[in-house]
Amino acid sequence: MTISRRVFVKSGGIALFSLGLDPLFLGRAAYALTNRLIVHPSDRRILVCLFQRGAVDGLNMIVPHGEAAYYAERPRIAVPRSDVIDLDGHFGLHPALAPLKRFWDDKTLAAIHAVGSPDSTRSHFDAQDYMESGTPGVKATADGWLNRYCQHDREHQTGAFRAVAFGPELPRALAGTAPALAIDDLQAFGLRAPQDAARDKLTRAFEALYEGAATGLLASSSREGFEAVQQLKQANPTQYQPGNGAQYPRGRIGRALLQVAQLIKANVGLQIAFLDATGWDTHVNQGASEGQLAARLLELGGALAAFATDLGDGMRDVVVLTMSEFGRTIHENGNSGTDHGHATAMLLLGGAVNGGKMLGRWPGLDPAARFEGRDVAVTTDFRDLFAEVAARHLGGTDLSSIFPGYAVNPAKYPGAIRP
Amino acid sequence: MRQHRRLDGGTVSRAALGSALVALLSVYPSRGLPAQSLSPRDSALHALNRLAYGPRPGDVDRLAAMGTLRWIDQQLDPNRLDNHVLAERERTFTLLGMSREDLGTAYFDEQRARRERQMSAGADSAMRQGPDPADQTPEALRGRRLAGELQELAVVRAVMSERQLEEVMVDFWINHFNVFMGKGADRFLLPDYIEHVIRPRALGNFEDLLIATAQSPAMMFYLDNWQSVTPGSWAPEVARAAARRPELAARMPQGINENYARELMELHTLGVDGGYTQADVIAVARILTGWSIARPQQGGAFEYHDWAHDRGMKVVLGDTFPAGHGQDEGLRLLHRLAHEHATMHHVSRQLCARFVADDPPDGCVDDAVAAWQRSDGDIRAVLRAIFHGPDFWAPQNVANKVKTPLEFVVSAIRATGADPDTSPRLAQVVARLGEPLYLHVAPDGYPERQDDWVNSGALLARMNAAVGLAAGKLPGVTVALDTLIPATADAPALLDAIDRRLLGGAMSAHTRSVIEQQLADVTDPAARRNLAIGLALGGPEFQKQ
Repeated sequence: MTISRRVFVKSGGIALFSLGLDPLFLGRAAYALTNRLIVHPSDRRILVCLFQRGAVDGLNMIVPHGEAAYYAERPRIAVPRSDVIDLDGHFGLHPALAPLKRFWDDKTLAAIHAVGSPDSTRSHFDAQDYMESGTPGVKATADGWLNRYCQHDREHQTGAFRAVAFGPELPRALAGTAPALAIDDLQAFGLRAPQDAARDKLTRAFEALYEGAATGLLASSSREGFEAVQQLKQANPTQYQPGNGAQYPRGRIGRALLQVAQLIKANVGLQIAFLDATGWDTHVNQGASEGQLAARLLELGGALAAFATDLGDGMRDVVVLTMSEFGRTIHENGNSGTDHGHATAMLLLGGAVNGGKMLGRWPGLDPAARFEGRDVAVTTDFRDLFAEVAARHLGGTDLSSIFPGYAVNPAKYPGAIRP
Repeated sequence: MRQHRRLDGGTVSRAALGSALVALLSVYPSRGLPAQSLSPRDSALHALNRLAYGPRPGDVDRLAAMGTLRWIDQQLDPNRLDNHVLAERERTFTLLGMSREDLGTAYFDEQRARRERQMSAGADSAMRQGPDPADQTPEALRGRRLAGELQELAVVRAVMSERQLEEVMVDFWINHFNVFMGKGADRFLLPDYIEHVIRPRALGNFEDLLIATAQSPAMMFYLDNWQSVTPGSWAPEVARAAARRPELAARMPQGINENYARELMELHTLGVDGGYTQADVIAVARILTGWSIARPQQGGAFEYHDWAHDRGMKVVLGDTFPAGHGQDEGLRLLHRLAHEHATMHHVSRQLCARFVADDPPDGCVDDAVAAWQRSDGDIRAVLRAIFHGPDFWAPQNVANKVKTPLEFVVSAIRATGADPDTSPRLAQVVARLGEPLYLHVAPDGYPERQDDWVNSGALLARMNAAVGLAAGKLPGVTVALDTLIPATADAPALLDAIDRRLLGGAMSAHTRSVIEQQLADVTDPAARRNLAIGLALGGPEFQKQ
């Protein structure tokens, strides 16, 4: 069912008329098309957020191998200096992240350490909630910071695929009044019927049902869904081949990033992509150069490298930002694992990234410099990093609405985005 | 907490008011009622949507005739309800015939087969959590089949049980005391957890349930308490072995693990705003040191290890737990937590969110807390207070909640009178809609709010499932629509039947006219009927409860 956009407009339009479709639907389809055409390529900055749920051990992801205390505190799980992939003489990548080294070398990868929340909670749920709502310490915030960005900046850019979460559920960060879409599988997205004609009929029938009878969330969600079905039909995701010989690793991260790349290349107006990666809550036997955490990092590094390879020049417009709700204890616990800590490390990858350097201020592992005597202290409020990405990469201007209650100050930006 | 709300000058309790309202509706339906009140059929439909997984054919009329309050009383006393049809179906699940020892052996065999496979492949993924789809050894296949059976059993019970409220409450507690099946040994510990910890206590006493979960190997393993030990303590046999092989000692647990202690207070009892501190978390973890598990090949039962217990003094929530105590202080702690006001409020609020509204009215929560205090945590008494309260029956709280994926699938199966099979395929449908059973990774369990379930992708998936079910193509279920809703060329008659038998009379005029238009160019009567049912079940009214 490969049809070019132009053919779709013609044949699709005629088909709709002949079936006596309600004008509302037609108007929306036409709007979606014109809307697409006015998106200027240089205006197409894209942010891909990857949430490492469960609190990644930043110290074993970006290893402070120049720090004796790191080795003293982790006799069983420290990554040996000989295995670390050195970045700047003091920090280095976990060996499982080796595929990312070349992006560091070409200055499109940066890492920031000691980043986190000013709130001291060690609850996964609270900390994830705060990082996604963008309001640490305030539980009552109804929407997520990425959704507020969509509400307040370029709010006219309302294509169905502007903000997409890759997974079965919409994450907190994208919850809110601006339209956002959750897609588990691009290829299966939409209604299923044996023939295209039957599928179109079914789609229109359900659209009419929800148009008239649904209210609130059911109404807005269904409307977004039907818009997306139309746009995706034109993008034709079943024919996708990754570019530049990129090979995505098996697993959810690779699968999701492949779909992000598909949507970016399909030019459907994707601006915010969000995906989850789980399995970082390494309380027990987390391993060192190899083992449980290494296996997760191997998938992460391989998937990010494949994504950047696949997009090639397209990475010019893209920033991938990893995040995690907090870090883990400096000292290994009694089970060769780590417990809930405070600050962690995050990665930024893409053409706009001020790469090839460690960002943020490293507080060190000295007991006096620790948070509550046991965890890496936070020296960069995650909102300063997120705000910089929203402002300097996405061009967001209304930062006080994105981070309510926080005085965003560009002087505190960690310098993650190239000026 | 806020003061108990006083209605009518404080002379009539809220519960009495609610009951009076319903009694009036059910017993004297012909009397003049306020315009905004529910009709007997509406009351029946509402109760079936909340206390049950929706009506089966004929249920609404049956309840309206017998009186919905009487039906609620029956549901609160489930052991008196005949359930032999489900019991017969349960006998086809091999899982239920296996003891914990059998399951432990199955798990042990699977682990051994995997280790052997990995050693021969030289792979270092021994720590991988959860089933590995690439693993095709007979042991791994058996493990996956049992996991699929467990998920399917939940769907089959929800569809077929006469004790509907019991099934709803099992689902509630399974999420309240969530255990992730994908975490290693929890795959073989979970069946026992469901059958012997949660199910027998779903309508029992909260403290009993709390203690049973705290002493369940599934929870101990999921939240790591089984290997939380006092620093420097050693099992006697390890101490002996370590003298010869020091590297063995390095692999043994060497300190406390806060994971369970934190979730016990944050999720299971007090709630995140329940007033505890990090110091309380550490003290609770110390109190629960030594609560552990026997080895899997020995059945993996709960075991208290006195050698691992911290016998020092602790302070929790201002209470001193004096030095020198063992397992008893853990029970004292759980008793204290079960009776904290914050716990009653936290759990009552979750119950009201489940049964009344995503953002429950304070009055409903207050009534539930009062019943909790009066009954010392009798879950049935708390539920009775909710069901007899005015908020439960308030028109604004009718059809104001969106079904979870499990509720949607099960209610559609029940509405069409369809018959689920014992394959895992129906549970896989629920998974595709976003709720893979027992696979919520985080300890907070699946959410209850509509915001967490309604999004455009999920809605499209529901529409697909509805159309598939009506066409007899939904995997894992047999549908026989001909007796329920015969195919007919008479569109208005068809829509009347669908509205009355499937939607309980909730079909809007708009939905009716849209479906009628869609039928216009379909000539085959069966195809017409199937399309109409698919649209009705996938449409907006059926997403609500």
